[in-house]
Amino acid sequence: MELIPSLDLLHGRVVRLTHGDFATAKVYGDAEEVLDALDVPRGTRLHVVDLEASRSGKPIETDIVRRLARRDLIVQVGGGIRSLDDAKRWLDCGAERIVVGTAATSSLLDLLVTTFGPQRIVPAIDVRDGVVRTDGWTRESNITMREIFARVESLAIPEALVTDISKDGALRGPSFALYRQLNAMTRVKIIASGGVSQTSDVISLARLGNVSGCVIGKALLERRVDLHEARARLAASNAVPERVIPCLDVRAGRVVKGVSFVNIRDAGDPVECAMRYEEEGADELVILDIAGDRSSIDTVRRVAESIFIPLTVGGGIRSVEDFRDTLRAGADRVAINTAALHRPELIAECSREFGVQAVVLSVDAKGGQCAVHGGKEVTNFDAIEWCKRGEQLGAGEILLTSVDRDGTNSGFDIELLRAATSVLKIGVIASGGAGTLDHFRDAIEAGGARAVLAASLFHDRVLTVGDVKRHLEAEGIPVR
Amino acid sequence: MNTTLIDSPVANVANIARALRATGASLDVTRDADAIARASKLVLPGVGSFGAAMSWLIETRIDHAIRTAVANGASLLGICVGHQLLFDASHEMGTTPGLGLLRGEVHRFEGPLPVPQIGWNRVSGGQAILPVRTGKIACPPLFEGIDEGTAFYFVNSYAARDAASEIASAEYNGRFTAAVQQGRVFGVQFHPEKSSRAGLRVLRNFVAWN
Repeated sequence: MELIPSLDLLHGRVVRLTHGDFATAKVYGDAEEVLDALDVPRGTRLHVVDLEASRSGKPIETDIVRRLARRDLIVQVGGGIRSLDDAKRWLDCGAERIVVGTAATSSLLDLLVTTFGPQRIVPAIDVRDGVVRTDGWTRESNITMREIFARVESLAIPEALVTDISKDGALRGPSFALYRQLNAMTRVKIIASGGVSQTSDVISLARLGNVSGCVIGKALLERRVDLHEARARLAASNAVPERVIPCLDVRAGRVVKGVSFVNIRDAGDPVECAMRYEEEGADELVILDIAGDRSSIDTVRRVAESIFIPLTVGGGIRSVEDFRDTLRAGADRVAINTAALHRPELIAECSREFGVQAVVLSVDAKGGQCAVHGGKEVTNFDAIEWCKRGEQLGAGEILLTSVDRDGTNSGFDIELLRAATSVLKIGVIASGGAGTLDHFRDAIEAGGARAVLAASLFHDRVLTVGDVKRHLEAEGIPVR
Repeated sequence: MNTTLIDSPVANVANIARALRATGASLDVTRDADAIARASKLVLPGVGSFGAAMSWLIETRIDHAIRTAVANGASLLGICVGHQLLFDASHEMGTTPGLGLLRGEVHRFEGPLPVPQIGWNRVSGGQAILPVRTGKIACPPLFEGIDEGTAFYFVNSYAARDAASEIASAEYNGRFTAAVQQGRVFGVQFHPEKSSRAGLRVLRNFVAWN
């Protein structure tokens, strides 16, 4: 998948609008200066939009496009192309391809394709709530998505730019559902546009299969995504499978489970559960001692002796000694929670003593704040700030639990996950709220999580670990 | 044939012992240099720091014992840092010489993905198993019964790259050596004892190999 930096031009400068509203224009500076600042290499495809032209219907920014083309950038340009002459003017400036929005719904599209060839035409299709929009997003068209793609396909146009305008510039993530819907509808490849705000979005789009390019505007300009890092992660991402992790909340030698940490009930024998989960394909196992007094150390030992997958253990770890004892009982990694909030240096001490890979910071978030004592008490630590601090102190991964969602089966808290994964380099394990197969997909795809954790769903055999892994794989997410 | 597991303090010996026993190995767990020198099948585990692991081998003269055993025809499997110790040297905190049984050096992963690598990663046939002329890919004995692209569990910040003895590689911040074989000396960068069925199969292949 190609990463395509996007520059929206207005009065000679790079700007960004929110929801296509000219009144919201934010100015970033001269186009070439912006490209230099973003370190865009030669040979990169650029998406350039002449905003004034899209409103007035007349090409304005021809000089800039000429300069960009001279820098060995492959420019596709759009905005207000309503005649053969408009298109010719852009191509004469050195543009490689022209992006046609309004014209895509008219007979002009056929004329453009006949004159310049289907490879040089990129139909831009703006969608809001499943409805196609035209004229700078202000007017609803009476053509359906299915009709427009049938037309694009019949003209042998290979790629179409699809923007979900409710997502554009809002940095809330792209419209994965829309692109998936198009995958079933058309063979036309999609250049995804709108909503990309973190590197994981790029990776998730690439996994969809029908998305051949991804336009990134605001996220690059705001430095939320680094072009070089995103390219490198894209190259590496499919080799690294995402993980499915059953969690055993343990008390008095039994697996228990409650809703939002209360109404605890029995859910089985830990060793039996652990062995069954490994058999089903669990990539790792988490044991949380919910009494928080490390009374489950013997259970940890018994489980560790019966499985051959990594084991992470948390609950009541208050010191380097507790941490060491837990590793000795057979844990591969140990999760620290409340004690680190009282004394953050504990993270650094354990990381130095046992290695970054052994330290998991467990964060229970309730209304955006860190909760302690099994979620009963809320601190004034901001959950995301605390995750960042934990990473700096040497945590190898974050186990991020939404206390609000825990046990509700209503889905992982995607906003919370995005807030964390957009600012962390280390991985995040999504926890709390899993109820359906799609919830697991969404946590990874939209939430950017590197692992998904669930408890009651697996204990109650509503879903098996195998069900989840098969579903993720079917949705394009690599699993073991 | 007994399998001798070197009881290094810089390793997760208990887990590896349990996994080896699960494959049916009859196991001696020892730090006795003489016993190691006489062994016919050796497993060298290791986690944490290359320097600390190598220092221990030198202090106990187990480094010599391993070389003696290998020279006398023993087979050897290095696991994780134990695998790294097989090479000439590592560049973890300065340069530390290794056992020098295999050519190559161990370097830190550099790149956009977080270091250490913690998690499952897919392993592919490396350069040593591609006798391209015959058109057939020979399966090295260690990977008998293992599909191309099978995932194993890794925890590492350092790895060898493009080792001449490479029989499998993986991608993380670029391609790195995931497993090696040269004659009777084997090494795996991943943790077979944490890699579920596939990991146990690799251990079983080593235990059963003659």
